[in-house]
Amino acid sequence: MKSIKSRLTLVSMVVLAVFMVLTAIALEQAVVKRALQAEEDGLQLMIYSLLAAVDQDAGGLSLTVSPNRLFEPGLVTRNSGIYALLYDRRKTEIWRSESITVDFPAVGDVDIGKWDFEIVEHQATPYFRLVFAIQWPDINEKLQRYDVVVWRNAVGYFEQLNRFRQTLWAWLIITTILLLLVMYLVTRWSLLPLKKIGLEVKAIEDQQQTGFELDYPDEIAPLTENLNILLSREQYQRQRYRNAMDDLAHSLKTPLAVLTGLGDQAQLEPAQLETLREQTERMNQIVSYQLQKATSVSDIRITRPVDLVTVIDKLLSALEKVYQEKAIAVERRLPPQMLLRMDEGDCLEVVGNLLDNAFKYGSRQISISGWVQDDKTTTLTIEDDGEGLGDSEIRQIMNRGTRLDEATEGQGIGLAVVADIVESYNIELEFAAAKLGGLAVSLRFQAV
Amino acid sequence: MRAIVIEDDIDIQQQIVERLKTEGFAVDAADNGDEGLYLVQEYPADVAIVDLGLPKMSGLEVINRIRDQGIKVPILILTARGRWQDKVEGLDAGADDYLVKPFHHEEMMARIRVLIRRASGWADSRIVCSPVSLDTTTQRTYVDDRELELTAYEYKVLEYLMLHAGEVISKTVLTEHLYDDESDNDSNVIEVFIRRLRQKLDPEESLKPIETLRGRGYRFTLERAEQT
Repeated sequence: MKSIKSRLTLVSMVVLAVFMVLTAIALEQAVVKRALQAEEDGLQLMIYSLLAAVDQDAGGLSLTVSPNRLFEPGLVTRNSGIYALLYDRRKTEIWRSESITVDFPAVGDVDIGKWDFEIVEHQATPYFRLVFAIQWPDINEKLQRYDVVVWRNAVGYFEQLNRFRQTLWAWLIITTILLLLVMYLVTRWSLLPLKKIGLEVKAIEDQQQTGFELDYPDEIAPLTENLNILLSREQYQRQRYRNAMDDLAHSLKTPLAVLTGLGDQAQLEPAQLETLREQTERMNQIVSYQLQKATSVSDIRITRPVDLVTVIDKLLSALEKVYQEKAIAVERRLPPQMLLRMDEGDCLEVVGNLLDNAFKYGSRQISISGWVQDDKTTTLTIEDDGEGLGDSEIRQIMNRGTRLDEATEGQGIGLAVVADIVESYNIELEFAAAKLGGLAVSLRFQAV
Repeated sequence: MRAIVIEDDIDIQQQIVERLKTEGFAVDAADNGDEGLYLVQEYPADVAIVDLGLPKMSGLEVINRIRDQGIKVPILILTARGRWQDKVEGLDAGADDYLVKPFHHEEMMARIRVLIRRASGWADSRIVCSPVSLDTTTQRTYVDDRELELTAYEYKVLEYLMLHAGEVISKTVLTEHLYDDESDNDSNVIEVFIRRLRQKLDPEESLKPIETLRGRGYRFTLERAEQT
């Protein structure tokens, strides 16, 4: 999962779901426990009120309950849902409330003075049942054991519990959804600066701005400030380097131009003149080659993609002016756009040298074709109808290290520079015999 | 022909000037952009050779200003950097060709000749107004197959008139394009050259190749041959 937003959302969902389920269980447990305790307390009160209504029977050996002293109206209303029974030590029922319409099962032994509260299912109906064992002196002052049992219909309780559960879960789900929504919005809001950084990087890439311009939160601001420093320092260094290279080119080539001019004028022996020309030409080639190589950017960094079609158009309008006399027909089969991530200067250098060679060595016709394959590989082919290059000449150009010394004037130095630049960008360079009869040079690169 | 050389390196500038003069050009030179622009504005030239790296005003700026003012002189740019970005910028700004330093003077001259011919609408190095033909590379002149013996100045006058065949060329323009400094020259010199050229081109006075338009100048009357 690559997106931070997705990760945060997923983690929030899981944590929130677990939290909500545990909360629901805990809440329900607490409520049930409290409700049961309330039920038990209610039944205990009822037993106490029942005991207040207990009297010895006429014989004085057993107990009975005076209905007129019962405070709980449910016990005197038939089928009210509240029922009470009194058992003697032999578990024989000695009294039952007027509300009872069904028989209840006898109870087990309970210690004297202890309470026994249970939920019992009887005849498919749930009941709360509280049993209390007491001792009561008979007429002979002998303590007799009695069990007081109270039953309360629990159907209403369970219905209420179900309603509570439904309400609880409904609210928990609504709360969870709301919380998730809030968390999603908070995540979005928190990640907004990162999105802004992305947009600013794109703007820097497109050369619409030179650094990060927006205000960022305290946590991110140091990063963008440092990146700004890095960018400006890099731009400054790059410009300084280019300027230095330009100055160097000027400084080296001016004396070379003077020497070349002298060679054209000097009253020297033909052999000496030839040597002077050869040596100045060689120096020129070395200087040109190394300077071209040094000024090529050769790494992609934050560069705006270059449209090859625009570069070709620019170069064609320049070259058609320079080679006007040759009246070369240019056949152009290019898609509307061919994007390549490359420094524009390097791109102009590569395509400029290839097109210049085609114009220089072509006789009447040049063909420029480009296409994008399914795997996003883009190919640009420039063909001419000149004499072309032999295999050995192509090998010389492509063979790093030796090509400079053996480079022939014109094609050698230009193609050597092209080969060097494209290699640093991982662009494939191929030479072949052109259908037109001359040289076909192809560049194959990954489209943007 | 008149050429303007704008180059800040004095050694290179001198070499170019010398070579152009050897080839029969009248030459003005400047070592900075400001002065170079002034020369181009003030003196009608047949070609301007402009270095891109100039002090005071860059070569690119000079070219832009020349073109902004509608001056159509052919421009050859000289560049030490040799990057395509610079060449394209120069050509886009209005230059017509470029030369990367160092260069051989033969190559420079060949390009200058091409630019001058192209500016006058000639595609080939051989300019023909039948039966007169002129080879600008070897500087030889023929009437039909007969080669003429011309002096350097006679050749310069004929070349200029033939390059602008059909156009009226004033004596002042001819003088400006042939001499470095007009004050050095007698006002009759051009008339003398024209008379001699008429005698050499048309001894029998059947062609009448050069017409005199009183108070206006001269016109080469023979029609340009179609060039392939």
